[in-house]
Amino acid sequence: MFNQYNKKQLSIMLTALLVGMLSTHSVSADIAVIVNSANGSALDNNSIERIFMGKMKKFPNGQVALPMNASKGMSSRDEFNKAVIGRSSSQVNAYWSKLVFTGKGSMPKELSSDAEIISTISSNQGAIGYIDSGSVTDAVKVIAKF
Amino acid sequence: MKYFNSSISALLVSSTLISGYAASEVKISGYGSVVAGRTLDNVTLDNVGYDWSQPSSASNPPSVTREQILTADFYDVGQYSNDFSFKPETVFALQVVADMGEKLKVTGQLVAKGTDDFSPEFDWYYLTYQATDELTLMAGRRNIPMYYFSEFSEVGYAYPWMRPPSNLYWWQVTQFNGVHAMYDFSLGDYSNTISLFYGNEYSNDNKEMKYYDELYGGNAKSVNELWTDIIGFNWNLSGDFFDVRFVYFQNDRDRETIAQDGSIADYTPFSQEFLGFGGTLDLAMFTFLFDWNLVTYDDDHGTEFPTYLISAVYNLDDFHPFISYSKADHKRKKRTNTEDYEEHYMLSYGIRYDFHPSASFKLQYDKFVDEAVPESGWRYHGDSDTVTIGVDFIF
Repeated sequence: MFNQYNKKQLSIMLTALLVGMLSTHSVSADIAVIVNSANGSALDNNSIERIFMGKMKKFPNGQVALPMNASKGMSSRDEFNKAVIGRSSSQVNAYWSKLVFTGKGSMPKELSSDAEIISTISSNQGAIGYIDSGSVTDAVKVIAKF
Repeated sequence: MKYFNSSISALLVSSTLISGYAASEVKISGYGSVVAGRTLDNVTLDNVGYDWSQPSSASNPPSVTREQILTADFYDVGQYSNDFSFKPETVFALQVVADMGEKLKVTGQLVAKGTDDFSPEFDWYYLTYQATDELTLMAGRRNIPMYYFSEFSEVGYAYPWMRPPSNLYWWQVTQFNGVHAMYDFSLGDYSNTISLFYGNEYSNDNKEMKYYDELYGGNAKSVNELWTDIIGFNWNLSGDFFDVRFVYFQNDRDRETIAQDGSIADYTPFSQEFLGFGGTLDLAMFTFLFDWNLVTYDDDHGTEFPTYLISAVYNLDDFHPFISYSKADHKRKKRTNTEDYEEHYMLSYGIRYDFHPSASFKLQYDKFVDEAVPESGWRYHGDSDTVTIGVDFIF
């Protein structure tokens, strides 16, 4: 009897957890990776990761890639790092700190809002960034969603 | 992470967002660590200054008991003792990068260390010329790319531990003035960088060598450590889940131990070779870090220093508990006794907690075990148990 009660309680907890996870998922918006409308490059996830890690410096069409980060503390940055790079924002920052302080790389520029990211990307052919997919406008092109 | 101070760059640069890609720009960034710690006990070890020709006595003891000492930074002689101290490893560094346009940049790093009473010095000072998209040329003062973690060994934020294991990062010379050529290329999805470097370091009044001179009863005014014709290469290969680096370099070694009367002791110059393979692997929840190195002298003893490090980190969101083991040995291949010289290992446990987007808290325990044979005279470190606590940051 005691055992059964325990199981029941466990299943209630599990259900609550699942519902919680599902509802969290439904409210959290997707991340859209965006480029300039004139940029015809198709990029797979690995190429997007390599551009944001400073390992790939050009688009397939030869255009120099200018990755734009959302500023620290913006949730899109954490979500992008987790989904595309597979690391926490702190781990990504640690990776960059060894390059920046040995002169082997420059951290992507930081922009403080989705609107700023859109306006920067729409006016720079090589720029690439990510925003909350709810913020997407016609001024930029979406090349991937996470 | 904002690697430039917006208020300062706003003063210096036009406020156009992308101006940095077109016009000159000054970026100010930095890193630092506020770390404190202490050793936990006393240690009894053989007296390195013991006079074997005399009978042992109170004034000539064969062994001594003293506070445990952990040398956390050999180059700067940053040591923990029983007194809780911030001095051995606390560091603050300011980096200024001026992009002068036309592919030319200049970088300076002003570093203030507790071991120098925070008097700042330009530890890094170099020009960078981006010759092509793939080829970068650098000239000036930089760290020697010896061990895998050497170039960023003072950027605590960049790695999980309090420091790269100090019983490996023990050299009296860590920087040099020289030239570098770095060439980037891809092989499929793998990124490669090959760096060639050449330079010299005339380390006058070398702090670590002066420390050893005193430790062994010397009274030198100063010791000049000379590493010349440092020439070699790094090959860095990285993929989605790994980053490995191969290194080879060689250089000539000489030393001037200057007595109080100005006379210079005899010293036989030799050359050394440095070989290493190290890297990091990210596998699911774990990160593995390793480094294997061999330093060989062409001296009369056939001196060799084989060293290695293995470490595992468990990544649990912002918590990164770790364990590491590092081992250093000193052999003399041309002697009858090839083995009984300096030998020690360090076993370290700790945790890194990323409590802030630009700062991490660390707590670490180090067990240093001195494995040198007591009679050898090389057991000068002594065992130690050390606890350190600190915060590393970048800005």
